[in-house]
Formats: sequence, C-alpha cells, structure tokens
Amino acid sequence: MSQNLQERISELQEQLRQGVISRREFLRYVTLLGVSLGAAEALAACAPKPTPTAVAPTAAPPTAAPPTAVPPTAAPPPTVAPTAPPPAAEKQALAGYMLRFNPAICTGCLICAVACADKWATEYFPEEAAKGVNLEFSRIRPMRSQYVDIINVCQDCRLIEWAEGSTKAPCEQVCPQGAISVVPEGQGKPGYTGMGYLNIDRDLCLGLDLCGRCLEVCEDQFGSGISFDPIEKKAQICTRCGGLPTCVEVCPEPGALLFVPLQTNGRYWAHQPEEFFELTYAKLYAERRDV
Amino acid sequence: MAELKGATGKIARVDLTTKKVTVVEPPEEVYKKFLGGEALGLYFMVAEGLIDPKVEPFSPQNMVQFMIGPVTGVAPNARSVIVTKSAYNFMTVTTSGGRAASELKFAGWDGIQVVGKSDKPVYIAVVDDNIEIRDASHIWGMSTEEAELELLKSVLAPNEYRESILTEADMTPEWAALRPPKGKGIGAKRLAAAWVIGPGGENGVWYANVITEGARAHGRYGAGAIVGSKNLKGIVIRGTKGHVLADKGKFLQLAREIQASEATNYFWRSFGTAGIGARCANSEDAFPIRNWQWGAWADPTVVKALEGPWMDAASFVKQMACPGCTLHCMYLTEITSKDPLMDGVVTDMPDWEAMGQVGGNLGYCELEGMTPSDPFTGDHWDLMEALAKTQYTTFLHDSNGLDYIEGGALLALLMELIQRNLITPADLDGINLKWGDVHAVDAIVKKIVRKEGIGAVLAKGTWETAKYFAEKKGKPEIMNYPSTGHRYGQPAHDVRGFDKDALEYVTVVRPCEHTGGGGAGFLKKDYPAAIAGQNTQATHNSLVICSFAAGNWAGKIAAMVQAATGWTDFTEDDVVKVGARAYALGRIFNLTTQGIKDPKKEWDTLFPHRWFYDPLPTGSGKGRVAYDGKPEVLYDEALPAYWKTRGWSEDKGVPLADTLKDLGIDDIAEPYAAKLR
Repeated sequence: MSQNLQERISELQEQLRQGVISRREFLRYVTLLGVSLGAAEALAACAPKPTPTAVAPTAAPPTAAPPTAVPPTAAPPPTVAPTAPPPAAEKQALAGYMLRFNPAICTGCLICAVACADKWATEYFPEEAAKGVNLEFSRIRPMRSQYVDIINVCQDCRLIEWAEGSTKAPCEQVCPQGAISVVPEGQGKPGYTGMGYLNIDRDLCLGLDLCGRCLEVCEDQFGSGISFDPIEKKAQICTRCGGLPTCVEVCPEPGALLFVPLQTNGRYWAHQPEEFFELTYAKLYAERRDV
Repeated sequence: MAELKGATGKIARVDLTTKKVTVVEPPEEVYKKFLGGEALGLYFMVAEGLIDPKVEPFSPQNMVQFMIGPVTGVAPNARSVIVTKSAYNFMTVTTSGGRAASELKFAGWDGIQVVGKSDKPVYIAVVDDNIEIRDASHIWGMSTEEAELELLKSVLAPNEYRESILTEADMTPEWAALRPPKGKGIGAKRLAAAWVIGPGGENGVWYANVITEGARAHGRYGAGAIVGSKNLKGIVIRGTKGHVLADKGKFLQLAREIQASEATNYFWRSFGTAGIGARCANSEDAFPIRNWQWGAWADPTVVKALEGPWMDAASFVKQMACPGCTLHCMYLTEITSKDPLMDGVVTDMPDWEAMGQVGGNLGYCELEGMTPSDPFTGDHWDLMEALAKTQYTTFLHDSNGLDYIEGGALLALLMELIQRNLITPADLDGINLKWGDVHAVDAIVKKIVRKEGIGAVLAKGTWETAKYFAEKKGKPEIMNYPSTGHRYGQPAHDVRGFDKDALEYVTVVRPCEHTGGGGAGFLKKDYPAAIAGQNTQATHNSLVICSFAAGNWAGKIAAMVQAATGWTDFTEDDVVKVGARAYALGRIFNLTTQGIKDPKKEWDTLFPHRWFYDPLPTGSGKGRVAYDGKPEVLYDEALPAYWKTRGWSEDKGVPLADTLKDLGIDDIAEPYAAKLR
C-alpha cells in the first residue's frame, strides 16, 4: 500500500514538475491520498518546477531555442557550482515548514537576530533602520543562560479543535483585534509574509500599552514568541519570512537552525524560556540547575 | 555636541558613596583620539588624576571603568575592557568577550565608571537610560555562576513587561476550562547580560577577576578586587536602543566579510585555544610544566591530555560564541573523573592559559612518582584524570572569580618551594602541596579565597608570597622561583624555547601580558614591526575586538571605524596611533603611580631568574635560556633600542615631549612625563 502511495505521489510530483497539473491540483490529489496538507506542501516543494515563473509548458522559452532542444532531465547549467547556494531570489518559498534548532550546535552568535532585526526594521521603520541596527526588531532572539544557548522564536503553536475549541494559534485566538492571522499562499509580501504562516497586522494591533494578550498567553502557557518593537510597541511575530527565512540563510553553524517540513502539531514543540534553559542544561550537562 | 555614531557619546559615572549617577560626555575629539576601551580608559586615568600615587588601589577614589568601543554592538567579536588601578598598583586593562559588551552599547552607553564605595553590597542594574543601584545582600558570597544567574533574571526592558490582563473571556470556553493555572505570566524572556565578581573579589584577593557568562573573564590584574572593594557584586544590563551607525550598509557588509572569513578558520572553530597545547607549546618547548622547570615532556604522549582533539573527544559538550563571532572559541565541558571531588563539575575547556597554568604547571599530567623527563606508562584513563584535574582547577578559579594565570603561577611557586624544601607544609597551615595533588590545590585555593590563615598572605599573589617566604625563612634564593614579570604571573608562553622573545614581556604595557601583539616582530628583532603589532593590539582593545580575529579584521579596521562613526578621515595610520597613545599613557601611568625613579632597577628588570639561568632540560629547545643567559643584552641593548624606536627616552623609557606632541596627548601626559624624565 505504502509503495503504491509513494509511486502515486511520485507520479503526481512528476506531473507537477512538468506542469501537467498545477500546484493547487497537486495538493488536492495528494491530500486525497491521505497525506496531511503540511506534508503535501512539502512534497510539492520537493518537485522542482521547470522554470521559476508560471510560464505554461507549451509557451516558447525566453530564448529562441525550440522547446524540444531542452530535455526535461537536462542537468543544471554548468556555470552553477554544485556547492554554491542559489541566490535568494531564486530560492523557493516553502509552505508547511517549521524552524528546527539544535541548542547543542547553536553558538549564540546573534547573527540570525541581527539579520532579522535589520530586515524587519527596514520594512516597517525605514528611517530608523537606516540609522543602525536594533535587535529589538528581531523576531528571533537567541537567549543565553550560562553554558546554554536557546533560540527564542514563535513555534507556531495551534490549539486543538476537539479539546480547545479552535485550531488557531493561541495568540491569534486571544487577539481582540483579529490582528494576528495566517496569511495564505498567494497573499502577503513574498519573502516577508504569506505561504500559510502567521503575521501581525500592525494597523490593527493595539500595542503593549493597551493590550499584550498575545504575549501573555504565549508566555503563560506556551513559549515566548511574541516581542514588541521599541518605537510603536506593537506586537511582532516570526512570519518565517513567508517561507524563506532569513535567519536560516545567515546562520553560520551547519545544523543549528533548519527550515524543515513540519513534523507535528507545533503545540508540542513550544518551550517556555526558563524550562527550555533548564532542560537543555540537564540534557547537555546531566545535572539539574535552576536559572 | 554633535550626535556621535558608532559610539553613543555617553559614559555613566556611578558614585557608590553618594548613590548618584552622572553622565560624562567626552568631546568628539577625545573619542577620535582614543576610540574607547583601553585607550579611552587610560585617558581618564591620567586626565582625572587617578595616576597620582596618592590614590590607593583599594581606596574609594580609585575608579573602575567598564568600557566598550565604537564598533562594539553589532560588529563581530564584541568585547569589553575594564580599566582601573590594579591591586598591584599598576594599570589594569583587562578584556573579555561576551554579550554584556554589546548590551551596554544597546543600552546607550560607551562605558560605566564606578567610583566611591557603597556601605553595603550592591549591584548596578542598567536598563537603557535607567541606572539603579540595588541591594546585593542576597547574592553576596555567591559563586560567579550563581550570582550571574540571579542577576540575569532581575531586569526586564519596558517592552517586555506589562501587568496581566488576560481573562477567560479572551479564550474559547473549552480552552479556558483546560487552561493550566496561571503563573508564569509575562516577563519570561532572558535578554540581559551581566558582569559579576566571585567570593575572591568580595574578599579582596589581589588577583580576583570579573566574570561573565560563567566562564569568560576580565582575567588579569585583579579588576575583581577593585570592584569588590567598592562593595559592588556586579552589573546587569539590558539595552533596547540598538547600535547607531553612520553607514549601516557598509558596516554590515564588512561584518559579513569578517564573519565569512572567520567561518573558514577551523583552528578556532574546532578546538578554540585548546589547539595550542600539543601542536605548538610542547613542540616549541614552551609548555609551562612544574613552574617552568620543564618546557616539554620527554614523552609527548603526556601532552595528549591537554590538546584539542583529545579534549574534544573526551569532554567538549558545546561551543559558545561572543556576539557576531563565528570562531566560537569557547567550549563547555563536563568533567568525568573517578574522583568524586571533580566528577560532574561543569566548566569551560580549559583554554590554553588554563591548560598551561593550572595544568602542566601544577604537575597534573605525570603519574605519581614520575617527572616530566620520564616515559609515560599510563593509559587514556590516566590522561583523562590529568584533564579532569586541569578542568577542576579552572573551575575553582572561575567559580571563585580568580585569575588562573596568576593563580597558577602562585600554586606552582608553592609546589616548587615544597619540592626544594625551601618551605614545609607547616608554612601552608599543614597543606602538603605536592605536584599533581588536586585536593591540596582545592584546599589552598579555598583558604586564599577566604583569606584564612596563610591564605591572607597568598591572596597578595605570587611575587608578594615569594617575598614573604624569603624573609620569613631567611632564604633569599626563594626569589629565584616566582614566575612573574613586573610582579605579576607569567602567562603560559615561555621565552627560552621557540614561543616568545623575552623583550615582548618586558615591553608590553599591560604588565607581563601574553596577548600584547608584535610577537613575530620581536622574534625577528624587527622593532618597528613589533611596535606596530603592539599598537594595533592596543587599538583592538580600544574598539573593542578580539585578538583571535585579528587576521580577519586586518586591513578592515579603519573602514569599520569609518562606517561606524562617519569619520571619513580615520585611516589605518590612525589605527596604529590610537595604540601608540595607549602605550605612552600606560607607560607613564605605571611609572608614576608606583613612584618609580629608576625604571631599570625598579620595574623593567623584574623578570624571572629562571629565564636566564635555568636551561630547558628536555624538548626541542633543550639547553636553551633566554638571551643566551645574558640579561644585560636584553636590558641594556634590546630594551633601549626598542624605546628609541618608540620615541621614548633610551635611559628610562619615558615618552619624549615631541613624541607626546605628535600623538596629541602632550596636554594630559607631558606634566607627568616631564617629572619622570
């Protein structure tokens, strides 16, 4: 059965790759086969598209060469070194992924936070961002207690419908303004928001002085994934850069911070900072310690 | 004043006597001349009269400065520097990596200068502009690790905190029914960083240090003793203002280039300084073994216990980086030993200085009854115990807030004096301090920290201890054994083998410092190159960046300063000049504060007898001594030639009036220099 399923998925991937079916159709067929949406999106991402743009397969390629001149299995152009990462513009935004980090490998160098802060400050406060770098704009904050580095970032928790009455993120559920919501694929700003990840509408957010419910519920019951910008004090959450996370791209430590297919309900993965520190310390040094 | 970029233009002056905080705003020209860190700290020490011999190190008038520089913040390799008058009555300039340096910039300060003395233990809490002096009675007496953990949770930024407002009405009924009891609430983040002292600093041990992140130390010259003398346990900082830069794009681009080049450096990225032991020191015949009686083990198997690949295989748990650094040279370790005293203790590495000073130097690596000249007959578990002893002694010093370079020199001196029957265990309150005995080391270090019995004498460091015993026992030959330069412990680099030229230790302005730079120049007797190296290193300590990344920053320093500050006329020549100013001020400070009349007699020749008269017994440098056993060549030929190249007087090494004028520091320095000449 599983072999049949794999074969069927492979066929669908091939059809998607050749442009016979659209991405949306692929997702529909694959989920009909019993695969979760997140995993389906991951599978879709694993099927490389013939061209990065939505050019129909029958349309003439931009060059004068006839379409038959390029076999579908053609090797990538030899000018691209196999080890060189492709330019960010050519990278594909990934839906249904999660940030996975390994506190045993992370060195706490803050390079992710500097890049994140600079990117988002430039997006929302270009004048302020031109003057320098402020980590308070970062959605990802490596935190250090002695001998332990943990990454503090939204873990994309979800409530459980049959038990908790909702499938929303907890912060989304408690937001009185409806400012926190999932931005679906096809919407949002590419490279910033969308592809099924959370985002905060800054126009709707009341800010920390008036509200702060999102932070409170996150810290009380889940992790500590919400922060507030230092200027307007409005809420900030990791949007996974719409499926192209900058933090992962700049991280210098192989394996410390990964963007990988979502494995389970995010609720399971969230850690409160204190317990995360203490558990990691116990894991690394086989000893209990209160932080 | 025009708004500064890179630097903030503001230094907080905290008076612990009056409990008042004032803001010092040095003019832009002062920043341009001194940048920050070491040079700016020395500027204050001289310009504000702390150079005066009447200002006693432990007096409330002494000022202890926690300084950073214009690139500290989001630049790679952030470090901080503490500048003060040392317990040993010379200048303290001591640096450490760690996040507290960047955090201080983010809070909007270029430094914190602490004067006065609190009537009861306090700590300083910095959250942006808000600086509070808070009661520290609950953490006084704690180890550095415990105290720092307490401080880290004691401050929150305004944008991390508000009162609880969430009610069940904000949730679905099902969720509200399932919700666990509230309690953790807001304020769970841990984004602060702290500098703390341990019991050693509280009790005024002369070589106490200031620790951050559990195992990073502003290690040398007893900065912790001065902090402790003010009843100050530590400083905790949380900043939300960011790092203001003149040309952010350029700055980040250069930073990425530096980080990318660091990321290819698998010397540091593999083992940190632990790569030095076997690969350099033992082969250069410059490994401190048994108070430098040996520089190499005859059987190189022994050194395996203290080399990177072996230590990594045996004990490294996790690597840790300073802000923006991809070298991550610090490795945390957990000790595995059959001795319950040590087993399970968590510490760092040890890094190279500890491997030398509280490793080989204390005779930890040889089996019982063996000497470093004997073949090694043990197995890897014996090597594991040697490593465990070294790691435990590192922990002992870090945890109590002590410098293990000076501490290792002191313990090794005592062990050699026992070995030679120049003192007896009775002189050490019954502790038989034999080579390799970690339990005896544990006992004596705890006595030193508490200043209990003989500990009160030992707490003054290696040189004073040797003097005490030489007098008490009527044995002047004891003065042949302290491994000290300028009365302070010699680091784990020797001058008889192939590591360093003796002149480097003699001339470095931070007394007997191993990270002064210019090493290659000294070995080749190329004094202009050596001086350029020293000046550049002093500038690193003023920016403040790390010497491990010197090669990655080479050629980019002026560009980084320009991008940070907007001073487009700041060139690589200025980089060297900042360091030259620090050297001139430091030299004048050291001579003046000690009231030295004849530097050659009272200061510049205070180096180990062993350098010249005790040939290396084993290894690649077997039979070698420094300067062929002719100290007069070092002191009467090389040293004056070096001084001359610096533009200092050849008889006393005092910066000449023209030199001070060229450096633009004649206004503050010439009155003191004139008296010294």
